[in-house]
Amino acid sequence: MHRLVGIETEYGLVVEGRDASHQMEEAAEVVRSLARKHAPGWDYRAESPRRDARGFTADRLRFDPEDAKLGKPGETFGDAASRSDRVLTNGARLYNDHGHPEYSTPECLSLMDLVAHDQAGERIVQECARVYAKRTGRAAHAIKNNTDHQGASYGTHENYLALRSVPFESYAHALLTFLATRILYVGSGKAGSWRLSEPAYQISQRADVFAEPIGIDTLYRRPLINTRDEPHADPLEWRRIHIIAGDANIQPYATALKVGATCLVLDLVEDGWQPHILLRDPVRAIAQISRDDSYQWPADTDKGPIGAIEIQRQFLNEAEHRYRGRDAQTDWTLDAWKATLDGLEMDPMTLADRLDWPAKLNILRMFLDEDGVEWGSDRLVAADLEYHNVDPDASLFACLETVPLVSEERIEAAMSRPPSDTRAGIRGLIVDRLTDRIEAITWGGVELRTESGTLRVDLNSFVGEPLNDWVTTLRNAATDEELLELLKRGSK
Amino acid sequence: MTTMQERRTPQKPLDPITKPNDGDGPSKPDVRKPGGGSDELLKRLRKIDPEQAKRYRQRSGQ
Repeated sequence: MHRLVGIETEYGLVVEGRDASHQMEEAAEVVRSLARKHAPGWDYRAESPRRDARGFTADRLRFDPEDAKLGKPGETFGDAASRSDRVLTNGARLYNDHGHPEYSTPECLSLMDLVAHDQAGERIVQECARVYAKRTGRAAHAIKNNTDHQGASYGTHENYLALRSVPFESYAHALLTFLATRILYVGSGKAGSWRLSEPAYQISQRADVFAEPIGIDTLYRRPLINTRDEPHADPLEWRRIHIIAGDANIQPYATALKVGATCLVLDLVEDGWQPHILLRDPVRAIAQISRDDSYQWPADTDKGPIGAIEIQRQFLNEAEHRYRGRDAQTDWTLDAWKATLDGLEMDPMTLADRLDWPAKLNILRMFLDEDGVEWGSDRLVAADLEYHNVDPDASLFACLETVPLVSEERIEAAMSRPPSDTRAGIRGLIVDRLTDRIEAITWGGVELRTESGTLRVDLNSFVGEPLNDWVTTLRNAATDEELLELLKRGSK
Repeated sequence: MTTMQERRTPQKPLDPITKPNDGDGPSKPDVRKPGGGSDELLKRLRKIDPEQAKRYRQRSGQ
């Protein structure tokens, strides 16, 4: 990859004997059960979720009125205690986001680093659930999905560093058509629906929730393209493309393909290319594609009805033409993208060992055949949920033979060690070695208490290129004092 | 577009993971297989509590 990428996942939470009215406090308790070395707290001064990439600041963000009914009277959220932020030695962030344990991977430059850190996040959240259960006596399970099947959705967001010099509209123009059709391989499958007609099974967990093509909101009337302008880097030079139109993937192959293909599309936009086939109504198209159980996926475009696979091929073919041979990760993505689109065209079920929606569909069909369970039944929805359970002793996914991408050792290492080539390597090292000196910490920097006052380590200046040499130098510091001195000299 | 009946015999897509000279790209994994297979899968499916579907009510997230 040629850009920093990270994935944020809000996990669903099941706690024995507790319902949604307790979810805020239980999610905080689960996060506080983290038994790994970490720095508590988060510096929110740099956050600006209402700043809009279209050049204004929204007065407010909208909330789901149905969700408010689930809360307790007088419920408050947003204070440090309820959020319970933790920054880990691997550079990741874990906190309670509105009742969901949320794991944000460290920033990665390597596709396989990102896959390893996404899987490390599953295990860390599962560790927290186990510790919580032991402490409270209440069983707890984390569910890596995006829907409760009763009207609530929660997100898995991808974050891509992008160029400020490219107009936001250029990214949005290409991404609307790309994101609405990439659910063919990003979707993690869903039994049923909660609006429009009721299919037995649809491709995407998130397709139901999009109401606008472009917008600032993320909690209500969600847009396909989110306009939040919060780069977590120098705003004069960088943007952050914050993609909320994606599913939580359990299959590592799906995660890698999702991110790899999206990176290539962003490369195309930055090189001045735009798709020649455009969806007329991307919001309608994503819902239709998700529901089409003929698996033909026709979509209404400015060139007439065209299948979603062919729409995806316009992006793939251009990326193949421009970027083949650039580096191993690009070639892997191009190969995987082509093989996946070919597989979808021939028979999607041949991809059950690498994509989530065919894998889960296989399981549910097996349940139907073996036990006479019916589509739409509670047992089937419960089985759908168990596919996404990150507890290996309960997960249905864990029983499958699937394509792994990274070694067990690499995932284990990612639970405690940051990527060595991004600013996350500096953040993680500081959390590991200078924990007690941390006064404030966020994506863009760390403030450290020193004998001569506060030292601000600016991480915003470390996003443009690989940092291996600098991270190695810092790691080799023999003492904390030497590390502080290096950070002082290295800070801009 | 083809119809379902017209589709060719399904073939596995080529696995793009292992290629010579992949450099720092993905390499052949050396991992434990999550396991159990279909017997374990069926065992877990049959243990599933259908009430879980009703109980699983979540707060809206982003």
